[in-house]
Amino acid sequence: MPLRLRLTLWYGTALALILFIFSSILYVITARSLRDAVDQSLEETAAAAVRSLEERGFLPLIDEDELMSQFPELARIDKFFQIFSPSGTITIRSPNVKQHEMPLSRQALEVAYSGRTLFESAKYPKEPPLRLISVPIIYRGNLLYIVQVGTTMDSVEQTLNRLLLVLLVSMPIALAVSLAGGWFMAGRALRPVDAITLAAQRIAGGDLTQRLTVPASADEIGRLTNTFNDMIDRLETSFRQIRQFSSDASHELRTPLTVMKGETELALRRPRETDDYIIVLESNLEEIDRMTRIVDELLFLSRADMGEVKMEHLPVPLDALVEDVHRQASLLGQERNIQVVLNATTSAVVSGDELRLRELFLNLVDNAVKYSRPGGTVDIALTIEQNHARVSITDRGIGIAQEDQPRIFDRFYRTDDARAHTKKGTGLGLSICAWIVESHRGRIEVQSKIGEGSTFTVMLPLASTPA
Amino acid sequence: MRILVIEDETKVGCFIKRALEEESYAVDLCEDGAKGLQMALNTNYDLLIVDLMLPSLPGLEILKGVRQARIQTPILILTAQSQVDQRVKGLDAGADDYLTKPFAIDELLARIRALLRRGSTDSPGVLQIDDLSLNPATREVTRGGLRIDLTLKEYALLEYLMRHTGRVLTRPMISEHVWNQDFDTFTNVIDVYVNYLRNKIDRGRSKKLIHTIRGSGYMLKAD
Repeated sequence: MPLRLRLTLWYGTALALILFIFSSILYVITARSLRDAVDQSLEETAAAAVRSLEERGFLPLIDEDELMSQFPELARIDKFFQIFSPSGTITIRSPNVKQHEMPLSRQALEVAYSGRTLFESAKYPKEPPLRLISVPIIYRGNLLYIVQVGTTMDSVEQTLNRLLLVLLVSMPIALAVSLAGGWFMAGRALRPVDAITLAAQRIAGGDLTQRLTVPASADEIGRLTNTFNDMIDRLETSFRQIRQFSSDASHELRTPLTVMKGETELALRRPRETDDYIIVLESNLEEIDRMTRIVDELLFLSRADMGEVKMEHLPVPLDALVEDVHRQASLLGQERNIQVVLNATTSAVVSGDELRLRELFLNLVDNAVKYSRPGGTVDIALTIEQNHARVSITDRGIGIAQEDQPRIFDRFYRTDDARAHTKKGTGLGLSICAWIVESHRGRIEVQSKIGEGSTFTVMLPLASTPA
Repeated sequence: MRILVIEDETKVGCFIKRALEEESYAVDLCEDGAKGLQMALNTNYDLLIVDLMLPSLPGLEILKGVRQARIQTPILILTAQSQVDQRVKGLDAGADDYLTKPFAIDELLARIRALLRRGSTDSPGVLQIDDLSLNPATREVTRGGLRIDLTLKEYALLEYLMRHTGRVLTRPMISEHVWNQDFDTFTNVIDVYVNYLRNKIDRGRSKKLIHTIRGSGYMLKAD
């Protein structure tokens, strides 16, 4: 069932219940107060009659004319009165009831003997419903008379019937009007939800550029719209990153493929010297190595993303590791006449995976050697700073432009200079470094000035318990 | 026909250059976008091959730069991205054709021939003057139905002459379109090659096709 219908039905049911209770209470209270008013007027009339009888020394009143002049209120059409003897026979009655038979009820007689006043509703054949009051007149312990005053309940019943009719007719009308209003309001309130649904469908169809128009009011719909837009923003960003990543990955893989395909096709176009074939095969081997490296590194990163890379958490003496890396890097540097210097070292133990940490530092030092100018120097330093081991690797090579620095840890990101400088990079090395540092709860930072060189700083938290 | 290749991947650029040279094109190779644009603006190339992803200047900017300078040279773009939008952007920026890496050398050469054909007006696949015909696709040259064997440079020179029949071609024009930038313009190599061609095409024939225009250069014409 649609929300709009459900809201309207709930609302309608609640309203119907309220209307019903309200009407019932109204009816009951009205009926009671009308009847009370009748009873009160009967009581007053009866009291007057009793008073008058008392004044006359309880003599029965014979003369009707005198009676009427004495009690003008008795002449009113809507009231009649009867005076019964203690035996229950009529002694006197007002002229407006002469033609009617309304004997004293047994209950009234019994109550009169006990000296109490009784109200009763009576219905005699061929008469409208009546309301009667019977008042005993007792003198020195003896019941002398029973004065009965009555009136018809016609007007009261009519009023109540009219009220009932009004309620029965107006209640459904009121209910229908408010149901229609509720339906309209629910529709109005839910219209933005329909708009959101439509937009969501378009977005689900692949159009991530769609945004909802934010309503001016900061109500629930406004907040929902904002939340929804924020979510689409993030989705769009991550989709763009994925697209960028797969586009970069395919570019990096296509380049070696292009080289291999092109060189091989060219070689096969006509018979060549053996040396030519050797050159092509050697070149192809290089490209195969390059692709293997890209695929390996991609695989590593995607496994790392999936949390499938096992990491040891053992105490690693960083000083020994850094010295070892320095020895290996010195050999690398010799080929290009670059001096790798271990400036400072101190005893430091971190918790982590020695193999990964070795890969991290080798990668950074290898980069530093690669981007140095021949004859240059690479400095390595290990210090301790605020419970962290701080390893910095500084080169005086080509440097990284300010605007490129935030992006060098992105996958496949290579600055133009880096591309031009070394063709062998995969663009993934620093991404892997960043991942290793992060999985050791550390930080990696770069400070660089174009043309002057770069410093990569790795901060790793020290192991709490020294090994 | 002289072609400029702007491609930052050294190996890709090298094999394209070798393949084209084996097809007797004169080829200049440039690995840098900004430098490549300067070369394209300064030299009258017959065709540009531009990689879209280049250091210092994206391929698209080269296209725009070349077209803004009102240079109508056909441009073939190379792209590693298989995305349609990159190719669309390239074509809209003034490229005439594209190839997606990795590509077949035969396709590259066929597209180059097609683009060069498009450059000169209403020229069919086979170039013909009098009874001399040259087929760029097979590089077969015949005169009066007899096959003529030419070296790469001789062929390149003849193709250039045949694409501009009836026009005086100066020595600088010939050197610009038949030799690449390493060519030393102060030598008489052009005259030597024209002589080689004369020996193979006009010798022993009553109707000479290659004419020397004194003080200017050479012209290929039927009468």
